[in-house]
Amino acid sequence: MSEAPKPDGQAVERFRIVMLPHLDAAYGFARWLTRDPIEAQDVAQEAMLRALRYFHAFRGEEARPWLLRIVRNTWTDMRTRRSLEKVPLDEADDVVEPGPDPEQSALAGDRRREIARALAALPEEVREVLVLREIEELSYKQIAAVLDQPIGTVMSRLSRAREKLAVALGGRLGKE
Amino acid sequence: MDCPTCEAMVEPYLDGELPAGESVRFEAALEACPDCRGKLDRLRGLRSLIRELPAERAPDLMRARLERELRAAIPAAAPLVESAPSPTPGSAATPSPRLWSRRSAMAASLLVALGAGWVGGRYTGQDGSRETDELLAGYLRVGLGDRPVDVASSDQHTVKPWFAGRIDYAPPVYDLTSAGFPLLGGRLDVLEGRRIAVLVYRRNQHRLALSLWPATASGDTAPVVSEQDGFAIARWRHAGFELRAIGDIAPKDMSVFAASIDKAMEAGK
Ligand SMILES: [Zn+2]
Repeated sequence: MSEAPKPDGQAVERFRIVMLPHLDAAYGFARWLTRDPIEAQDVAQEAMLRALRYFHAFRGEEARPWLLRIVRNTWTDMRTRRSLEKVPLDEADDVVEPGPDPEQSALAGDRRREIARALAALPEEVREVLVLREIEELSYKQIAAVLDQPIGTVMSRLSRAREKLAVALGGRLGKE
Repeated sequence: MDCPTCEAMVEPYLDGELPAGESVRFEAALEACPDCRGKLDRLRGLRSLIRELPAERAPDLMRARLERELRAAIPAAAPLVESAPSPTPGSAATPSPRLWSRRSAMAASLLVALGAGWVGGRYTGQDGSRETDELLAGYLRVGLGDRPVDVASSDQHTVKPWFAGRIDYAPPVYDLTSAGFPLLGGRLDVLEGRRIAVLVYRRNQHRLALSLWPATASGDTAPVVSEQDGFAIARWRHAGFELRAIGDIAPKDMSVFAASIDKAMEAGK
């Protein structure tokens, strides 16, 4: 990316309007990437600041995929910096737990925890594709842009992700 | 369509990625292919399971921290800091209507949180206790305020005497830099109607607030660490003090912090 001029008041206002509505998405994606609520905050916040710094390079394309791509790059960089890449992918002990939801029955809560755990336990390469498709509801083309991968790769990873998750949730899927 | 073709289209169809014409052809082929119908059903079932997960919401503290950064990015156009009601502990200041209109909803909710003490349901303690609410409200002032401490010093010999004459007890003050928690300073807060001492520490970019006051019950208790909305809270009693620590750090770091405090209290006896 080119060097970043300091954003002026107008740019910050535009950033608020265009990017801030996607803060929840940025945090949610970061949470599935990091599988840790504290780390996710660091990643999402750092990504927002990077997005502000490079906002001059935003050319009015779709905001959410643009931001999610920065989230992913931020996570990759932070992990490299902290050399956390040695953490095994299947280490899913303290995985994402769905937030407390008193209106739902304990049964539904258990079920959600199980789904969240299975999703969090997927290898990152397929987990991120599935999260972008099923939770962020991005199109293949948008996912390809976030991941900087060809659409064919997106499709095959998505297919693998679904297979793996279906196996992990086998019991849940049969008896609906 | 023979099945291998039809099978390759199940996922793009499910994902709404087939052009309209092909969708129609696929649906026709599906009639004659029970295997692909079964696959489509299973994938739809999987999708509905995933979509049962509640949507993630960015934590308010993070949102507020970001808001602070955005304001700092444009110092000239940041009227919020100067005109905001000062977050006096325990006060119930309401932002003026004039200010409301100028702010984004986000900044407004932050100021309500700071000024009125987090009355919304979101940060109601796990046990629903008022103490937890007050600790969280106090922490938000420490975590977000432009002035997190009333006395800024990493020197315990500066911070400790500062409390004299401001509260009715002398809190033990220790710098824990060697344990990875440098002391930033101290401040006063109000907890359940009583003025108490709060020591503020730093862990990397995160702040921790340690509230402490003389215990009425006797005996030490081991720190109990709980996690809530991305905050870790520790509660324990040691050397005649009730201790509560809160911060947006990992629970395991909070345990290390509590143990370091205990160790310092033992050494300082
Ligand atoms: Zn078929």
